[in-house]
Amino acid sequence: MTGMQCINAALKIDKKGDVAVVPQIFGHAAVLKGVSVEDYVKDGGLIATCQLEALLRYGHHAVFSVMDVCVEAEAMGAEVDYFINNYPSVRKHIPIADSLKARIPNPKKDGRMPQMIKAVEIMRKELQDDMLVVGCVMGPVTLAIQYLGVQDALFMAVEDPDKFEKLLDYTADVIVEFGKAQIDAGAHLPIIFEPSSSPEVIPPQFFREMALPRIERICKSFKSAGAVANWLQIAGKTMPIMPHYPDAGVDIANCDYCVEPAMVRRFMPGVCLAGNIKPLSLVEDSPEDIYKESVRLIKTFAGQGGFILSSGCEVPPEARPENIDAMIRASRECHF
Amino acid sequence: MYTMDGLIKALLDGDRNRAVAEAAALVSKGVSPDSIVLNGIDPAMNRLDAKCTIEQFNLLEIMLVGRCLTAVITEIFPNGIASSRDKGTVVIAALEGDVHDIGKNITKMLLASKGYHVIDCGKDCPVEKLAETALNEKADAVFVSGLITSVIPNVRKIKSQLEALGIGSISVVAGGAALKQSTPEHLNVDFVADNAFEGLHYLESKAAVSNN
Repeated sequence: MTGMQCINAALKIDKKGDVAVVPQIFGHAAVLKGVSVEDYVKDGGLIATCQLEALLRYGHHAVFSVMDVCVEAEAMGAEVDYFINNYPSVRKHIPIADSLKARIPNPKKDGRMPQMIKAVEIMRKELQDDMLVVGCVMGPVTLAIQYLGVQDALFMAVEDPDKFEKLLDYTADVIVEFGKAQIDAGAHLPIIFEPSSSPEVIPPQFFREMALPRIERICKSFKSAGAVANWLQIAGKTMPIMPHYPDAGVDIANCDYCVEPAMVRRFMPGVCLAGNIKPLSLVEDSPEDIYKESVRLIKTFAGQGGFILSSGCEVPPEARPENIDAMIRASRECHF
Repeated sequence: MYTMDGLIKALLDGDRNRAVAEAAALVSKGVSPDSIVLNGIDPAMNRLDAKCTIEQFNLLEIMLVGRCLTAVITEIFPNGIASSRDKGTVVIAALEGDVHDIGKNITKMLLASKGYHVIDCGKDCPVEKLAETALNEKADAVFVSGLITSVIPNVRKIKSQLEALGIGSISVVAGGAALKQSTPEHLNVDFVADNAFEGLHYLESKAAVSNN
């Protein structure tokens, strides 16, 4: 089976077959090639080169055009600091007074968006439909926080919920445009990163009332634009909000290391689950440890399928390559 | 007669204006600021602690309470006079390579509300500066918060830096999304906290052992 066939089998919840394996390799691809994270997050050509080389090195099933959490906010006017060996962060957010006056960024022109599109185009041309080509957008709450800053955004949510809802409508519009541009460029899907909707950041009812309707709109737009699936990535202890994912049209739900996928399967039988190797264990643990945990996860889904062996969140840039190898080896040696 | 119930509820609701009004009313009735801290703020924080332990640590809720708390403290100590309770000094930072400071700020607010004198070394702080500050401030503990895994090599250096300055017995506590995935052994620290309250509990338990 090709990588894409493995992914499709997981999406269809096929009970038997090969295991799809997708460690979330972003900046780790830069480290592997010996280039700086700063250069990586600014250059779509370099992203494509590093991702394709990492794919050759490991033999996993997906490549990612992912830079960092600042891409959309920067294109919307926020000022960003870059660091040689770390991801950038927003230095100057947008003042609340200006927050709803901004336009929708043009993914082909603004900030680093065109570079992400370029990476998608190169990788899809190279891989066609053999491997999953994944783009990336922030989720609506995460983007609101990147845009305004965490205090201004969350206090606005409490003190002026109507205004905050308008802000979420705006961030959702930005996300839809950026995601559709990625799909048009060849992404099979843009992964939706929404760490700020974690129950460790906002209460579950807040997620249900404010974030979920926008995530649903985003998912519908991506499907209409041709995405093969919708992949939602929310980190942390997400059990209280996961039952809502199917309502939003989520096809692949990421489970962080603190969420047991077998438990999630009980209430989301029709959703493909991805996870949940602890990211830091890919730095600190041994290949034997990673292999054992990978085998345990695969065996959990034996006879069930619908599971992508992945990391609970991003593979840390400094992860040990032999630990990624161990994940891949487990996926080759075990079957559902 | 007065009651602290209104203040406690306002704090837990994250209602800044109501909390400040309740605190002002208490002051006007002759209630001492220390009594407000002891019988109003402390019980509110204890209830928040229990809620976070039983349910879920939630950044939004903590931020709202933290904002209330800051406003109430300003109201009852208008001249910046600190509470007479001094449980000890804690030096806190996000280490060099990490520019994320929400977790650090939440922990700082919590520790200060519980009577600790907190020295904030900010974000992107070199280990050397953290250790020197701990020495100069005669700190009882050092707290570090880390959102990204690449900061871990710096966390591992803290103990040796403190030892080099002759203050190796100071407790080192680590927390934050990246660091809480690890263990005290891997990080070479005394305790890894799942959240700010766990870090506080560790400090309180150490103090309890010292006092016995």
